[in-house]
Amino acid sequence: MSLLDFSSDAFIAAFFLYCFGFMFYGVSALGRKWSNRSPEEHTRRWGRIAYAVSILGFAAHVTFFITRWIGGGHIPTSNMYEFMTFLAMAIMFAFVVVNAIYRKPLLGLFTLPLTVIIVAFAAVFPQEVQPLIPALQSIWLKIHVTTAATGEAFFAVGFAAGLMYLLRTVDFKKTDERARREQRWVEFTLYVIVVIIAFIGSVFAFRGAGYEASFKQENVEISDTGVDNTTTETVEYSLPPIFKPYNSQVVSMDAFLGFKEPLMETPHWMKGVNAARKLNTITWSVINGTILYGLLRLVLRKRIGAAIHPLMDGIDEDDIDEISYRAIAIGYPIFMLGALIFAMIWAYIAWSRFWGWDPKEVWALITWLYYTAYLHLRLSRGWHGAKSAWLAVIGFVVVMFTLIGVNLVLVGLHSYAGV
Amino acid sequence: MLTFENTKCECGHQNPVGTVLCESCGNPLDVEEAASEAPLEMRYDGIARRSQKANPSPIDRVWNFFSSVKVAVRLIVITLIASIVGTIFTQENAFISFDPSTYYEERYGWIGKWYYKLGLSNTYESWWFIGLLVMIGTSLVICSLDRVLPLYRALNKQQIRKHLTFLTRQKTVYASSVEGAPEAWTASMAEQLKRRHYRVHQDGDALLAEKYRFSRWGPYINHIGLIVFLLAVLLRSLPGWAMDTYITVPEGETVQIPETNLYVKNEKFTIDYYKDDELPESLKGTARAKLYETKAVLYECEADCDDPSKQPQLKEVKRHSIIVNDPLSYQGIKAYQFGYDDTPKLKSVNPVLIDHKTGKTYGPFKLEMRNPELTYALGPYTLELRQTYMDFALDSEGKPTTKSKEPNAPAFVFVLKGPDLAEGGEPYMYFPKQNDKARFSQDVINGELAKRFEIKVPSMEGVEFAGVVTSLNIRSDRAMPYIWVGAGISMFGLLLGSYWHHRRIWLRIDGGRVTIGAHTNKNNYGMRAEVASALRGLGIVVEPKSLDNGRNKS
Repeated sequence: MSLLDFSSDAFIAAFFLYCFGFMFYGVSALGRKWSNRSPEEHTRRWGRIAYAVSILGFAAHVTFFITRWIGGGHIPTSNMYEFMTFLAMAIMFAFVVVNAIYRKPLLGLFTLPLTVIIVAFAAVFPQEVQPLIPALQSIWLKIHVTTAATGEAFFAVGFAAGLMYLLRTVDFKKTDERARREQRWVEFTLYVIVVIIAFIGSVFAFRGAGYEASFKQENVEISDTGVDNTTTETVEYSLPPIFKPYNSQVVSMDAFLGFKEPLMETPHWMKGVNAARKLNTITWSVINGTILYGLLRLVLRKRIGAAIHPLMDGIDEDDIDEISYRAIAIGYPIFMLGALIFAMIWAYIAWSRFWGWDPKEVWALITWLYYTAYLHLRLSRGWHGAKSAWLAVIGFVVVMFTLIGVNLVLVGLHSYAGV
Repeated sequence: MLTFENTKCECGHQNPVGTVLCESCGNPLDVEEAASEAPLEMRYDGIARRSQKANPSPIDRVWNFFSSVKVAVRLIVITLIASIVGTIFTQENAFISFDPSTYYEERYGWIGKWYYKLGLSNTYESWWFIGLLVMIGTSLVICSLDRVLPLYRALNKQQIRKHLTFLTRQKTVYASSVEGAPEAWTASMAEQLKRRHYRVHQDGDALLAEKYRFSRWGPYINHIGLIVFLLAVLLRSLPGWAMDTYITVPEGETVQIPETNLYVKNEKFTIDYYKDDELPESLKGTARAKLYETKAVLYECEADCDDPSKQPQLKEVKRHSIIVNDPLSYQGIKAYQFGYDDTPKLKSVNPVLIDHKTGKTYGPFKLEMRNPELTYALGPYTLELRQTYMDFALDSEGKPTTKSKEPNAPAFVFVLKGPDLAEGGEPYMYFPKQNDKARFSQDVINGELAKRFEIKVPSMEGVEFAGVVTSLNIRSDRAMPYIWVGAGISMFGLLLGSYWHHRRIWLRIDGGRVTIGAHTNKNNYGMRAEVASALRGLGIVVEPKSLDNGRNKS
C-alpha cells in the first residue's frame, strides 16, 4: 500500500471519527433527560467520550495531512480539495484551543458537524495529488495558506458559537414581531445548512450511481475584427440535467426518473466558466435540500430551530457569547498575518507587487474589514449577545465566500485554487 | 449650550468636563452612570477625551466627527461595501489592452454599461475610494490621539484606594467578611497576586494589583502601524517612487532597462513541463508547467552610454537565474519572470539583390532585424535603409505603421541607387518573410521597380532565428520598506492587544468586610478564574461564576 493510499484511508477514518464524535456530543446533549444518571454527570461523561473520539479523528486527520505531504512531495494546501481538508483540520485545532480555555462540551455539538460538512465538501473536489505549477513553488505556500486557514478556522468556531447562542436564546414559543423575525432567520440559516448537506449528498449519490450526461455546446464569439468564431466544447454533467448548457446538443444522457431529455436550457446571459453545470448543481441542491428539510420537519413536527432550542437548556448564554467573541478575537491577528501580511509578502515575491486588487485579495480585505468592524462594535454597548452572534454568523458567510465563492464565481489570479 | 456642570468629585478631585469616572477615586460622576446599577462603563477608564469639550469650535467639530468609533465603523463598512462592488466585474487594471468603453457593455449588457459609466470599473483607483482610505487614516489618527493621551495619564497615576462604588460595580466582584487584622489579610492577598505575576501596590488595608498594562497600548501601536502603511501607499503614487516596466529579451541578447543605465542579458530561457509519469491520471497528456527560468546577467553601463554611434561599455554586476518565485534583485530594482514567447522570430536574413534584366545577382548581405546597418554596397548598386517596421500593419488611414517592436512582420524601406536609376535613388520595400510579401503585396507596392530588381533570400541557410523571448517585469518600489515596517508595527500592536489583557484588581477592607473588584479589557472569564484562584490560595473556595456581576449584559 502506498503512502498516499494510506493517507486517504486515514482521511476516511477521520471523517467517520468526526461523525461519531458529533453523535456522542448529541447523546451528551439529548440524553440528559432520559439518562438515569444526574444530568451533569451524564453530560460530563458523554462530553468526555465525544471529545476523546473527536481528538482521535483529529489525530487521524493530522496523519492524513503528514502522509499526504510526504507522499505527494509538497504541502497539501495547493488545490480546493487539499485546502478544504486543511481548513477542517484547522477548525478542529481551533476547537481544541477554545475548548481548552472554556471547557464547554456543547461547543463540540456545533463545531463537529461543521467539520464533518467541510470534510465531506472537500471530497466533492478531485482528490489526486497535482504537481505544483511554478507560481506555487514557494515556501510561502506553506506559510501563507496555513496561517490564513488557521485564522479562518477560529472565525468558524466563532460562527459555531454564534449559531449556538442564537439557538439558545431565540425563543420559539414567543409570537411577537421581533421574536418571529429572529425565528425566521435562524430557521433560514439552518435551511441553508441543510441545502449544503443536500448538495454534498446529491453529488455523492449520483457519483456513486455512476450517473453521466454529456453535451456538445456551441459557443459563438465575435472577435475584434468582427469575424465570428464558433467553437464547440463537450460539457460533462454528473447530476441529471435540469438545465442543459445554452445552445447545446445531448451527446449521451442516462435516463433519470424516466426523463431522457433535459428539462430546460440555461439562459444565454450566464456566461461564466461552467455556468450551466453550476446552475444545474445549485438547482439540484435547492430541490433536494428543500425535500430533506421537509422530511426533517415531518419527523420533528416542528421547526428545526424549535427542536434544537430545548437541547440548549441550562447553558449559560453569556459564556457562549464570550466564546464566540474570544474565538474571533484569537483568530483575527492570525488571519491578518496569514491572509494579508504573508499574502502581501508572497505577492511581492511572485507577482512583483504586494497588492493588485485581485478579487481574492479584495475579499481577504473585505473579510478583514468585516471582522475589524465587528471587534470595534464589541467595544460599544448594545452590540453583545444576539447582534454579535448574528455578526459572527454572517462573518462566516463572508469567509466562505472568500474561500470558495471567489474561486467559483469570480475570476482572478487565484483560479488554480479552483476545482 | 452653556450648561454648568460640576465636575468636582466628592473626594475633592477636580475632573475635566466629560469625565465619567473620577480620575482619582473612580466614583461615577456621569449622572446616568451614577444612577445605574450595572457594571461601570470602564472604557478608557472613564476619562474625559479631547472630543468631549464643552464649547466645540469648528475644528473641534471636525475632530469630534473623526474621533468617534461609530464613525470609524461606518467608514469601514462603507469601504467594505465599495470593495465588494469593485469585485462584481473584472476591473480595468486586470487587462493589458482593451477598450473599456465598449467591453463592459458588450460583455455584461446594460449593467456593464452603467458599471463603466459610474466609474466602478476602476473602483480602487477612484477619487472617492482613495478619499475613503484617507478618511479612515484620519479617523485612525484622531481616534487614537483622542484616547491614548488621557488614558496614559489615567493609568500613570492610579489611586490605590478607590471609591467603594467603583469596586462593587466592576464586572468581577467579591465581598465577604474577614477575620483578623485587615492589613495582614491584604498582605497575604498581595502575596497570592504576586505569585500570579501581578505588580501589587498596597496602602494599608487597600490594594491595587495590575498586570500586562502594556497590552493597553497594543491597539494604538496597531493604529500607528496602519497609518505608516497607508502613508507609504500614498507615497508610492509620487513620481519617481515606483517603476513598473516590462522588457522582452530574446535568448542570447542584451536589452537596456528603460530610463536606467542597466542592461539585462538573457543567457538562456528554459521552460520545463511535467512528464506524464509525474502527473495524476486526469492531467496526463496536458502541458503542466514545471519551471520557467531565465538565466539573466545584469550589466551596468560605465561609458558611452548615451552615444548612439558607440557600443556602450558594460560591466557585469549581477548574475541570477530568475524563476517565478525568485526575482533578480539589485539595488532596489527587481526583475521578475513574467512571461515568454517561443514563436520563432527572425534574427537576421542574408538576401541578395537580383537584377532581372541582366540576370546577375549581387550579395548576399546580412540584414539584422535589430540595429541593422544603414547602407549596403552591392556591386555597382547601393542600398540605403530609410525606414523599418518590425511588426508591419496599415493603420485606419492606410498608412504604414508598426504594431510592436517585435519582429513579427518585419518590413524595410530601402532606397536603391546605381546605374540606370533616378538621381536620388528609387524606393524599394522589402518583406523578408514570404507570407508577408504576399500578404502586403510587395510587388504592387514597388511597382515598376519590382520588374527590374528583386531582393530575396536565396536559401534557408541565410536565415537566423532569435531564441525564445523572455519577458521580465522590472520593478522598483522605494516605498516598500515603509510598507513592511507599517505592517510589522501594526501586527506587533495587534498581537500585544489580542493575546495579553490588562488586568487590575482593587481590594479594600472596610470594617471587617473585604471588597474586591477586578477589571480587564478583554476576557472576563479568565479574570474571574484568576480572582477565584487567588482566593483559593487564601483558603476561600468560590465558583468563578459566582464572582460574576451582571456580565455582558451592560
